[in-house]
Amino acid sequence: MKRKILLGLLVALGLGFAQKTLVFGANGEPVSLEPGNITDGISIYVQRQIYDTLVDFKPGSTEVTAGLATSWFSSQDGKVWTFRLRQGVKFQDGTELDAEAVKFNVERWWDPKNPTRIDAAARYEIWPELFGGFKGDPGSILKEVQVVDKYTIRFVLNQPFPAFPAAIGSGYFGIASPAAIKKDGAKYGSPTGSAVGTGPFRLVEWRPGEQVVLEKNPTYWKKGFPKVDRVVFRVIKDPAARLAALKAGTIDFTTDIPPANLKDLEADRNLDAVFRPSFNVGYLALNPSHKPLSDPRVRQAIAMAINKKAIVQAFWGKLGLTDGHFTPPSMKAFQSPKVTDYEFNPQKAKALLAEAGYPNGFDLELWYMPVSRPYFPTPKEIAEAMAADLSALGIRVKLQTKDWASYLADRKKAPGFQAYMLGWTGDYGDPQNFYDPHFACPIADLFDGTGKPLCVKELGDILTKAATTPNLEERKRLYQQADELTFNLALRVPIVHSQPLLAKRKNISGWVPSPLGSESFETIEKR
Amino acid sequence: MWSYVLRRLIGLIPVLFGITLLVFLFLQLIPGDPAQAILGERGTPEQLAALREKLGLNKPLHVQYFTFVRNILTGDLGTSAVSTIPVAEELKRRWPATFELALAATLVAVVFGIPVGILAAVRKNSLLDTLSMSLSLVGVSMPVFWLGLLLVYLFAVNLHWLPTGGRLSTDLAIDFRPLTGFLVLDGILTLKPQVLTDALRHLILPALTLGTIPLAILTRITRSAMLEVLSQDYVRTARAKGLAERQVILKHALKNALLPVVTIIGLQFGTLLGGAILTETIFSWPGIGSYIYEGILNRDYPVVQAGVLVVATVFVLVNLLVDLSYALLDPRIQYR
Repeated sequence: MKRKILLGLLVALGLGFAQKTLVFGANGEPVSLEPGNITDGISIYVQRQIYDTLVDFKPGSTEVTAGLATSWFSSQDGKVWTFRLRQGVKFQDGTELDAEAVKFNVERWWDPKNPTRIDAAARYEIWPELFGGFKGDPGSILKEVQVVDKYTIRFVLNQPFPAFPAAIGSGYFGIASPAAIKKDGAKYGSPTGSAVGTGPFRLVEWRPGEQVVLEKNPTYWKKGFPKVDRVVFRVIKDPAARLAALKAGTIDFTTDIPPANLKDLEADRNLDAVFRPSFNVGYLALNPSHKPLSDPRVRQAIAMAINKKAIVQAFWGKLGLTDGHFTPPSMKAFQSPKVTDYEFNPQKAKALLAEAGYPNGFDLELWYMPVSRPYFPTPKEIAEAMAADLSALGIRVKLQTKDWASYLADRKKAPGFQAYMLGWTGDYGDPQNFYDPHFACPIADLFDGTGKPLCVKELGDILTKAATTPNLEERKRLYQQADELTFNLALRVPIVHSQPLLAKRKNISGWVPSPLGSESFETIEKR
Repeated sequence: MWSYVLRRLIGLIPVLFGITLLVFLFLQLIPGDPAQAILGERGTPEQLAALREKLGLNKPLHVQYFTFVRNILTGDLGTSAVSTIPVAEELKRRWPATFELALAATLVAVVFGIPVGILAAVRKNSLLDTLSMSLSLVGVSMPVFWLGLLLVYLFAVNLHWLPTGGRLSTDLAIDFRPLTGFLVLDGILTLKPQVLTDALRHLILPALTLGTIPLAILTRITRSAMLEVLSQDYVRTARAKGLAERQVILKHALKNALLPVVTIIGLQFGTLLGGAILTETIFSWPGIGSYIYEGILNRDYPVVQAGVLVVATVFVLVNLLVDLSYALLDPRIQYR
């Protein structure tokens, strides 16, 4: 015993000097570390290090791969999904991961009456968003969750949902230790409570406004990982201050660098610019309930008249891409080869506009966002560029904006904005998550001008079918159709798929950013 | 004296009520729905309705105000709409950081401002006078944000002399458990010299940034107060008595010139407690300023309401203390 202690002490001393601490510059404070109850990027980032999800994604891609489940399959009709769990995985509190533990987590997210939903104020808003509703809601996709045996869990659905593994594997749904949740009650996942998963790191301390400290999980199931002993999330909200901290070496790596800083990053010998694969779309929405825009030829003329390539080059440089598809490049399998972006051609556009009966153009109110988003870092300037292009057609653009909350609400209220800028970042690697919130009936984000959602039946039907067809090839075909149809309709003109800019110091290696927005730090090494 | 203090304290009650009303009404003036702002692009109508209900936004205005005041009186400052952490808890934890920074900034202002002001007055129209007055003009008009980043790039990024932000280095902060939350004091109390020096190093740049404007103001106030006193009869008398110039200035003139200076120091300190928003943001200083800033960005009404209320209350209290100390310093002022 004594020898063991001595040995341990020696090892500790030896390691003490070699302790590798990775410092991440977080652009904000985590809201909570309770899975299923958060939607903000930083919380999910921290959570990703503590918890594992049922399925994981191949590094740098949206392709599903084994996570806590080693395999999964669906029934013929696509309504029953069965997952086989990895055996011998332990939570960081020593309890075992089994099918009961998974069921416990899922029921907490899904069932609003679940007694372990300790905090009545908590919203658990992401479950109904991705799965149609809570338990008892008419739209709920999930019907039942069953423990088949110790290491097999089964989800019975009300309708086929081919994207189910990708959705349940998204970063919101880390599997937490039921024992820890029961023990902590309302404090679970807060700065004064614990957060216990099976992931590569375990929570040591969360000092709000300052830092979150994670330590290597010694019982992590993936042998040889993580590569560092500690990860510290240091909160530095201001982008300029964060870049300064990176330059000074206070932090090792960070996200959310303004695109304008790319040159500065590339000029610094100690730093590397890192690009996250694009998983978003920034678009110009054209409201069909507004008279001239109700004619598809007018909308196509607008799509043709905007010099998207030049705009992307000017505002994003190598951080943006425009290709006419509504889905980002990582969804290539679901994109139609027939869709190539409208050629920039003001003459043709003007002719098309004349054909539609507007040879002299018309007045158009174009709304730009009052806030900066990854897909539109400088909305006003981009709107001005688009307005300049449209003036060549005789379209007299009046630029408008209002505060963010009203902007989001008022675009839908009758009569709605005529044209506006907005965008979307995906939750999980399936085109459904891009198309349905915008075009599916009846939840579509299209408005008829009286405050009611508008349904484009042909597109809606394709999307309903695509969302419920178990056969992957069939789904690809359907989404390719949807791609062509949305392109021709030009209700949402995709302007850009932008790559978020990240940065690291030269001595950091093994960081593979995920298009989905957060990735495990287990592969990162520090020299 | 005591009845004067008591009367002043009672007089605070309507002031504080007025503050609650103003804070409440100002937030109502901001257009847009905070529930929509919190949920962002993706909120569904059901989620919006649920959040509005939870935040109490669907109740009539006077009911909302009444609830707000009643909660304050019971010591409940509400919970953050975003993090669901009680605001009072968060303010309590962040208070020492802001206080320490404001104190350090005031110290910067006093240590540099008063001597320079005195010298400028004594050597009126000298090179030093012109220089200090021009510099103080620059100081007052310099944007805090810009100055802060400038200092960071100069002293942290390029020269590596000082840290870029935060209150302690990452590694030190992992093991250190603050006692009082005043890290400089904690470093002394826990006998950890490395904590003390690290905390001081982190304090220098934010204190300089935050202290620049009060420093400039104090220099000017000291100078003009000194000039006025120096032209008084009793100074001439002191000089006529043959006292050394040094004694005339430091003993006779300074003592009287300090009266308005003390008032300004107090006022500035009160302003600093609340006005540290930009500095705290640049330096990732986990104080009340950055908390309110985040609350505003998130449209987190409970955080903004309670934060502004607490800062305003402290400001009023500091002012009261200044008035009282003024009364103590100047025998001509009577407690009535």
